[in-house]
Amino acid sequence: MDLGASAATTPPPATGPGAAGPPAIEVRGMHKSFGETRALRGVDFTAFSGEIHAIVGENGSGKSTMAKIISGIFGPDSGTARIFGEEIGNPIEASRAGVATVFQEVLVAETATVAENVFMGMRSEKGTRRSRSWKRERAGELMSDLVGHEIDPDEIVEDLPLAVRQWVTIARAIAREPRVVVFDESTAALDLDGAARLYAEMQRLRDGGACVLVVTHRIAELTSFADRATVLRDGKTVGVVEGAEITLDRLLEMMSGVAPSEDAVRAPAARAVERSAPVLTASAVQVQPAFAPSDLELYPGEIIGFAGLDGQGQSEFIQALTGVAPFASGSVQVHGDTEEPRSIHTLEDAIGARALYISGDRRREGIFTNLSIFENFAMPIYKDEQDFGIIRRRSIMNKFREQSERLSLRAGASTNLITSLSGGNQQKVIIGRVLAQNPRVVALNDPARGVDIRTKRELYQQLDTLAASGAGVVYLSTEIDELVGLCHRVAVFRDGALFTWLEGEQITSDRILGAMFGHLETDFQIEEIMESTHAAEN
Amino acid sequence: MSVQYTYPNEIPVDERSAIVQWISAHRNFVLGAGMLIGLLVVGGFTLPGFVSGLNVRSMLLLGAFLGLASIGQTLVALLGGLDLAIPYIIGSANIALVALIGGGTPVGLSIVVVLVAATLIGLVNGLLSFRLQNQALVVSLGVGFATVGLTQLFTSSNDTMGQTTGAVPRWLGNLASLNGTTFGIPLPPIVLIWIILAIALILVMRSTWFGRSLYALGGNRTAARLARAPERLRWVSVYAISGLFSGVTGIALLGFSGGAFVRVGDPYLFLTVAAVAVGGTSLLGGRGGYGSTLLGVLVLTVLTSLLVGYGLDSNGQQFVLGLLIIPLVAIYARKTPIKYQV
Amino acid sequence: MQQKTKFTRFTERSGYAGSAWLLMVVLLIIAGVRAPYLFTGSGIGGFIVNTTPLILVAMAMTVTALVGSNVDLSAGALMIFVNVSLVKFLFDQSIGAPWIVVLLAIGIGVAVQVIQVVIMTVVRIEPIIVTLAAFLALSGLNLVILSRPQGRAPNWLGAWGAGRDIFGPMTLLVIVVIVAWFLFTRTGLFTRIKLVGANERTAFVSGVPVFRTRLVAHVISGVLIGLAGLAYTGFIASGNPTQSATYTLAAVTALVLGGTSLAGGAGGMLGTVPGAIAVSLISFTLSTFPLGLLASFVTQFAYGLILVLALTLGVLVRGIVVRKKRSAVA
Repeated sequence: MDLGASAATTPPPATGPGAAGPPAIEVRGMHKSFGETRALRGVDFTAFSGEIHAIVGENGSGKSTMAKIISGIFGPDSGTARIFGEEIGNPIEASRAGVATVFQEVLVAETATVAENVFMGMRSEKGTRRSRSWKRERAGELMSDLVGHEIDPDEIVEDLPLAVRQWVTIARAIAREPRVVVFDESTAALDLDGAARLYAEMQRLRDGGACVLVVTHRIAELTSFADRATVLRDGKTVGVVEGAEITLDRLLEMMSGVAPSEDAVRAPAARAVERSAPVLTASAVQVQPAFAPSDLELYPGEIIGFAGLDGQGQSEFIQALTGVAPFASGSVQVHGDTEEPRSIHTLEDAIGARALYISGDRRREGIFTNLSIFENFAMPIYKDEQDFGIIRRRSIMNKFREQSERLSLRAGASTNLITSLSGGNQQKVIIGRVLAQNPRVVALNDPARGVDIRTKRELYQQLDTLAASGAGVVYLSTEIDELVGLCHRVAVFRDGALFTWLEGEQITSDRILGAMFGHLETDFQIEEIMESTHAAEN
Repeated sequence: MSVQYTYPNEIPVDERSAIVQWISAHRNFVLGAGMLIGLLVVGGFTLPGFVSGLNVRSMLLLGAFLGLASIGQTLVALLGGLDLAIPYIIGSANIALVALIGGGTPVGLSIVVVLVAATLIGLVNGLLSFRLQNQALVVSLGVGFATVGLTQLFTSSNDTMGQTTGAVPRWLGNLASLNGTTFGIPLPPIVLIWIILAIALILVMRSTWFGRSLYALGGNRTAARLARAPERLRWVSVYAISGLFSGVTGIALLGFSGGAFVRVGDPYLFLTVAAVAVGGTSLLGGRGGYGSTLLGVLVLTVLTSLLVGYGLDSNGQQFVLGLLIIPLVAIYARKTPIKYQV
Repeated sequence: MQQKTKFTRFTERSGYAGSAWLLMVVLLIIAGVRAPYLFTGSGIGGFIVNTTPLILVAMAMTVTALVGSNVDLSAGALMIFVNVSLVKFLFDQSIGAPWIVVLLAIGIGVAVQVIQVVIMTVVRIEPIIVTLAAFLALSGLNLVILSRPQGRAPNWLGAWGAGRDIFGPMTLLVIVVIVAWFLFTRTGLFTRIKLVGANERTAFVSGVPVFRTRLVAHVISGVLIGLAGLAYTGFIASGNPTQSATYTLAAVTALVLGGTSLAGGAGGMLGTVPGAIAVSLISFTLSTFPLGLLASFVTQFAYGLILVLALTLGVLVRGIVVRKKRSAVA
């Protein structure tokens, strides 16, 4: 089977199911670059009215960029995007053409009311000018339907919980009675019930004749309800699958360009770990007072995976392990070979004990876009590398050379800006600066975001080498299949605490996914889970 | 089963010639130096005596005042803030010193008291600005205003008509007036002090954790926090330094003019911001440095001297400089369009 | 969650204006005790004449702060620019027809504000830098146009400054402006101004015409500053180029005291107007004490203190409210 080739040679159907006139969305030969980063490198796809069309791909495959082009946020460098045959130049034109988008980021006007947010930017078309009280009432109804309990339309959005704010953005899209709805990773801030309600809403929109475009990397959730799926990889369309063909394995295979079985590089889990003296222990850690306590023991040489639906506490937990975020109660300790165990409360504690954190959210938590490659490497190290207040530049430079060789960093001069590097190489700089500090524990928070496949594989190998030398590794991923074959154990989180452990043979995509939804037994189908969730909803 | 896969983004190759690359990497330096030379050439050809020893000396002296006042503004701007209290602290220090000396306090002690007070005001300013992030600019304005009001209340209560009078020590006059000499060289010592401070500051910014962490905080606060940069401490120290050097400038200006005047600092509200911006330090934080400001100071001083030569009074100069800042800021500190912020 | 009563809503929504109203009432009481003539017809009339320019400038600052252009440092200088331009280009040339005067005043205000908003949005420079530069350029220019207080306003405009009773032309002007503003707040355009100020990116992706909205806000501000210039000219019946900084700082103080967020999207005239009155009352009250020259220093100190305290208080109160709501959720 040749995935790339077969997909590229299958042209999308010229007309869709029962479509007359131009298709709802038609994207042809689309390219888009941001500086050095080439986000889209040739995307083609067509979506029709009356279907739920999924755009899937790994993080960094260009999905969000495409959603933004379709919404008129910015234009492509080359190629076209047409909505019912018309090109869109800005969000106002998109809105006029019937496009409504729910963005990944929860975009609300914080100091305005719910009603004002829901009807923001809605044009009063001829004769449909609505009064304030009508808008308030309608916003209240819509929100109450979506959230499941009453929401006061006069409430200031700033005072609402994040999940409700997310619903405000969804209500804003639905209030427009759109012909094309784009959901860009819109379940991020929602809990499971909320996600199920959103899926039901998508189906209602589809049945009403709208074209529903779902952009996501969480493919498990959509296998049960997407009508068609276009798969992107590294900014290119690699294929379209329909109906029953939309299965987890098939999508995973197309997204990564590698059949799961073929992935021989990734076998750190095969290395045995001797569980005698842990390098890190967490006892009765509550990330928030309302959540159940969790325990964890990490042994030298071990790689533990963290999984869970968004916002189930795994991210807070991994941050608690490395002093990045405070936790409500419990204790975290790092054990050295000889010295006393050290308790971790603050970032200083964690760095002193060499328990180090790597964020996948590079833009926000990782890189300094104003500084050079070398400065980005050196910044966390400076504090420990000074003589009488003067930093030891030469010594740091040696470390930089050592690490860039070890990680085969593909970069120009070290004085170039960090932004001149691709996402993968930026991540290497961040990992290099952590390795240069001789970590005892490394906690990675979804580090593969926006990183190409080769770099990912190199990363797995580096982590294996690191663990083999006696360090402990915690690896949080939002892409389940990343954990398979990499981790000795996987901790699945639910409701703010550790829900269950999976070990050895138990670590399969299906098992992890099932546990994320609260299932412990082994024989089940994803579709069943989704259906039972829907049933519970209705 | 074979998977065809090409890896994107190998090492980006810069195909431009070496000189073009150097210019683009040092754009603000090239631009600033170009402006400076251009202004000197224009002045030299159109105004007699523009590049004479006397005029150069006077430009260096005025540059020293602006340079000292801009130290704090540069550091604050690196963090992404602006300190609008500078002119008011300069004015307050100026009259407070004379009032203290006039009241019989020994000169040395008076100077120490003034500088400590200026630093403390900067410290308070820093604490409040850090707490009130978005409103930092107005906070600094409020602190400046309160300071100058309070100082005038103290200094004026013991004499008449709001005028503060007192003898300015002679050494202070030599330190910072046009006919001052340094070890016999006809250059006021304050210029030398400024040059030494400038070199020291550039080295500190380049080679200490203090300096580097300012760039980190100005570029990405969250990442800087994860790299252990102490945000509040830096914020407060930078404003305190700004207060200290505003005080120094106020005292130096007393030596220059020989008499106290509370509004002596007023031009520095704008000039410090302009010097920072013209030099190429981004007002959004994280880029630039005192080396850039140095260039900005020289450009502004030469420009002012040129405008004076063409017969503009201080109001006319203010008008021209006000108009100039927009194109200059436009070169370095344009914001990202909204569409790319989504 | 139950719907709150209209009254609770109103108090919640208007809480930002609390400190301005409080300070205004306190100062009114002190002023009334110190100088009872303030509450006579001519006392009130005179106070209104005195305060109208400040109210209008502070209102202008409020509009641009609402739309997210931060604090408009140029407003005071622009008002004075209107004043000196009227004196230099009309009155000194013996031109005094009301329609020309009003048109020029408003025209100058609008033109300068439009130039500024274009620089902010098209050239994309931080608003605070733009208004700071405009402040310097204009306050320099004002002194170039008129080197010292001079000139004479036409009689009809000079009569505005009489302030002999409560319902003079100035009072009418303030009432008309406030009523017009209140009506404007009922429109969708006003909502859009608040939305753009609250979160420009959100407004943009939701299809709000961001540039047009900001333009409208700055045009309104220009109109208000034009009227302020007119009122100021009526008040002093001549031209005075030296008050740029004074008015800017007094208006910033009024704005901040009034609780309008400098981050955009929150606040309004309900706080600004009493804020401006309170600021004006400070100098009035101080003038009732025998301070002599010190009065101006005390005023300066008071402005500075109010700025810092009002901002600090705002942040603290916000922090407490948020904590309360959080604990209510948990």
